[in-house]
Amino acid sequence: MAFIVRPSLLRQSFASPAAAQRVFSTAASSSMRQTSPLVQQLRPAFARTAAPKASRIAAFHATQRQQILPPLPQKVVGTTNDPTPIPDPAPAHGSYHWSFERLVAAGLVPLTVAPFAAGSLNPVTDSILCALLVFHSHVGFESCIIDYFPKARIPKIRSAAMWALRLGTVTLGVALYSFETNDIGITELIMKLWHA
Amino acid sequence: MATTRVLARLAATRTAAVRPAVFSRGFASVTDTSARDPISKAAEKIVPDPARTVVPESKTSTVKEPEPSKDAKIKTFHIYRWNPDEPTAKPRMQSYTLDLNKTGPMMLDALIRIKNEIDPTLTFRRSCREGICGSCAMNIDGVNTLACLCRIPTETTKESRIYPLPHMYIVKDLVPDMTNFYKQYRSVKPYLQRTTPSPDGREYRQSKEERKKLDGLYECILCACCSTSCPSYWWNQEEYLGPAVLLQSYRWIADSRDEKKAERQDALNNSMSLYRCHTILNCSRTCPKGLNPALAIAEIKKSMAFT
Repeated sequence: MAFIVRPSLLRQSFASPAAAQRVFSTAASSSMRQTSPLVQQLRPAFARTAAPKASRIAAFHATQRQQILPPLPQKVVGTTNDPTPIPDPAPAHGSYHWSFERLVAAGLVPLTVAPFAAGSLNPVTDSILCALLVFHSHVGFESCIIDYFPKARIPKIRSAAMWALRLGTVTLGVALYSFETNDIGITELIMKLWHA
Repeated sequence: MATTRVLARLAATRTAAVRPAVFSRGFASVTDTSARDPISKAAEKIVPDPARTVVPESKTSTVKEPEPSKDAKIKTFHIYRWNPDEPTAKPRMQSYTLDLNKTGPMMLDALIRIKNEIDPTLTFRRSCREGICGSCAMNIDGVNTLACLCRIPTETTKESRIYPLPHMYIVKDLVPDMTNFYKQYRSVKPYLQRTTPSPDGREYRQSKEERKKLDGLYECILCACCSTSCPSYWWNQEEYLGPAVLLQSYRWIADSRDEKKAERQDALNNSMSLYRCHTILNCSRTCPKGLNPALAIAEIKKSMAFT
């Protein structure tokens, strides 16, 4: 029905007899057909050229394009002469966090080596190792989430990821605790695996 | 058949006369190919398409050296081109061939020669041609560097590729938009802040040791080569300050004459501004002036640790 309101289309369809025939054969759906590229290809050459230009360049997408966070159009906050906003100081997420993270990472090295070097199994060092491992992995994954899920853009996915991480960390903690108390403990396990 | 045709014509003229063009807009038609796109497609029209890859040089033309001599050393340059006057056109790689015997030794010489003699539409920033202004920062053969400090590799079999700085909004061809970068630079307050006057009312004095701390910091020309080579800056450009700006921040934190050290550190003391640095060290590797932004960032972190 498009040509009722678009006289220009009507004129184009009358331009060639083949096109005119098509218009009157299936009046309502003819405009739909013109858009399909497949039909365009199947049509003889003279009819293809007779089709209006606009229908020949119609895009055809079989699937929707999937992009992970495509870049948004540039947005300048304030004027170009304003500085970018300075966030409030939050040492718990800044310097304290970083210092603690480095301490734990450095502490993990001797804790990993010591039981094997000394050849002795101590439940205290074992439990410290477990606790630091849980913290270390939590901080590492948290850093990944902060990097890859920008809070300003996808706040819901960000918080969902954070909660999933917290859940995972708690599960890991509980699992390690029960493994330490009810079973042989991770140092013993690695020793057994090593000798197996 | 004839009557139908006449009726159709009548209907067409009638409706055109009665109904203004505004109301005919809602009808689906083949001329309006985006009328029935889903909402997600409508967004694609606003959002520039990153999947829209650059047209490779194999599909674009090659502009040849104007008058090649007999013993010409012809080298090919593939240069990223995008014109804002044709916003829907894909960016493309345009090839140019140059005789190296007639071209200066640096990449900037090649670009200037292309612009002067072959293609005046090629757009890039340049000013001092000696690595002191930082205008001609671009990605040459995969490395962010200054075109004026980058020698053209003399083997003519290898083709050179020149892109603008990665992950920046492009103004035209090789010109990136530096607005965000300069705004971030402004946010670290890159000037001397102090309230107490100097003891003798003259200039603020420094010992030689204090002055030595600024070596390797004050030479930075803010070309943004390091920041745009940092993956963390690619991901979080709005919040993470990037190596260049953090180096400048440390230049004022380390300055013995500055009295706002604590405030400067406080401004960085959050999870995004400074601590998105994961010591990837691309910044130190790429710096065309041979500076070490990663060391400056590490010094800031060290000075803020346990405080």
